[in-house]
Amino acid sequence: MPQSVVIVFKSTHDVIKAKSELEKACVAHELIPTPKEISSECGMSLRVEAPLLSRALELFDSKGVRYRDDLL
Amino acid sequence: MIYFDNAATSFPKPRAVIEAMADYFFNIGGSTGRSGHRLAIKASELVFNTREQLARLFNIKDSARIIFTKNATESLNLAINGFLEKGDQVVATSMEHNSAMRPLRYLEQRGWIKIFIVQADKEGLVDPAAFADILKKEKIKLVVVNHASNVTGALAPVELIAEIAAGHGSRLLVDAAQTAGAYPIDVMSGNIDMLAFTGHKSLLGPQGTGGLYVREGIELAPLVRGGTGSNSEEEIQPDFLPDQFESGTLNIIGLAGLGAGVKYILERGVSNIREQEMKLTEMFIKEAEKIEGVELYGPRDMSKRVPVVSFNISRHAPSTVAYLLDKHFDLACRSGLHCAPSAHRTIGTFPRGAVRFAFGCFNTAAEVEKGLTALAEISYHKY
Repeated sequence: MPQSVVIVFKSTHDVIKAKSELEKACVAHELIPTPKEISSECGMSLRVEAPLLSRALELFDSKGVRYRDDLL
Repeated sequence: MIYFDNAATSFPKPRAVIEAMADYFFNIGGSTGRSGHRLAIKASELVFNTREQLARLFNIKDSARIIFTKNATESLNLAINGFLEKGDQVVATSMEHNSAMRPLRYLEQRGWIKIFIVQADKEGLVDPAAFADILKKEKIKLVVVNHASNVTGALAPVELIAEIAAGHGSRLLVDAAQTAGAYPIDVMSGNIDMLAFTGHKSLLGPQGTGGLYVREGIELAPLVRGGTGSNSEEEIQPDFLPDQFESGTLNIIGLAGLGAGVKYILERGVSNIREQEMKLTEMFIKEAEKIEGVELYGPRDMSKRVPVVSFNISRHAPSTVAYLLDKHFDLACRSGLHCAPSAHRTIGTFPRGAVRFAFGCFNTAAEVEKGLTALAEISYHKY
């Protein structure tokens, strides 16, 4: 199984927007409780497989989804 | 019961609104943004979807710019108190509801702001030129405009006022309590900086829901600070929307209902709803005018009004008319000053007040006919 990456967002609004955009673009992902080692940001984060990360971020940038790039 | 009190709160609500609220309590129940379990995700999606529906309705590019509040009053308070600072000058109209007037007058009483009032005419209509006159002479930070009067139904020419305000570097706050869902609103083409709306009137949602759209670049101070589920390691309020203004747990069940209400409106179409409501309004005004002793207020030009009609019957106090309508004709309406003393002064009905019929998207021509018969009977000395 390829390595997965956790993306943390600024707000719940952005997590859900990210999920909705990934669903529309058929990019596999999973919403997970934000691991405490990463951040105490809002309750939820998104996990994608490493090879899909650039596609996901590209999508977020074009749709104005605010994620914590400093934590990637 | 015939319900003509839709300007106070709309009734009935679409079945889908009640079903969405029941679905939340039966099947979801979780909170937004705090936890990461599936029910929390579902609740967060529900709130997100309501924001998105509203963004579609008002043509807002980024739905995160919509802040949820409990009603239009809270939205106006947030906009007014959050935006204005000591020494600022404001323009408002004489048709403002107390939800805007009172927070403005409070700041004025404290000696913090100066208010210039644009006087509406007897029908409740405001002339854009009157705004230009003030804006040319004074440095105005904020222009506050009631999109449609809850007393006369008169629409303000918001797009023209927006152009004038933008030309003088002033920001525009629109009170859409009586128009959101009943009249097309486009914040982009309308050049609206802040839009305050309520969920429980023409958006067909439950009470306790409302919102404020804030255009990018406008900085507000929050009314309330506290937990947002984000930046939890910080003791300082986050500076991004919507979290900055949504501390504490949201009215999630209310927002479930509001989302369903807006979806219903989008499916039916605001223009279609307006056409139907204005048909009833025109029919009512045309026939009520013929009843001896009835005096109607507000614009005769249907394109300049919403389906809110105030009137008086000469031989009775407004409260008596409302009482008789309720008791003998099974008809619900509102009498009095409608929380808008300045608007009643403008049309010459202060302190007497008036009776108000406000038609909604579930009213029928048959109901309007019954209402007209009732008014005729009341006016022709049957009671």
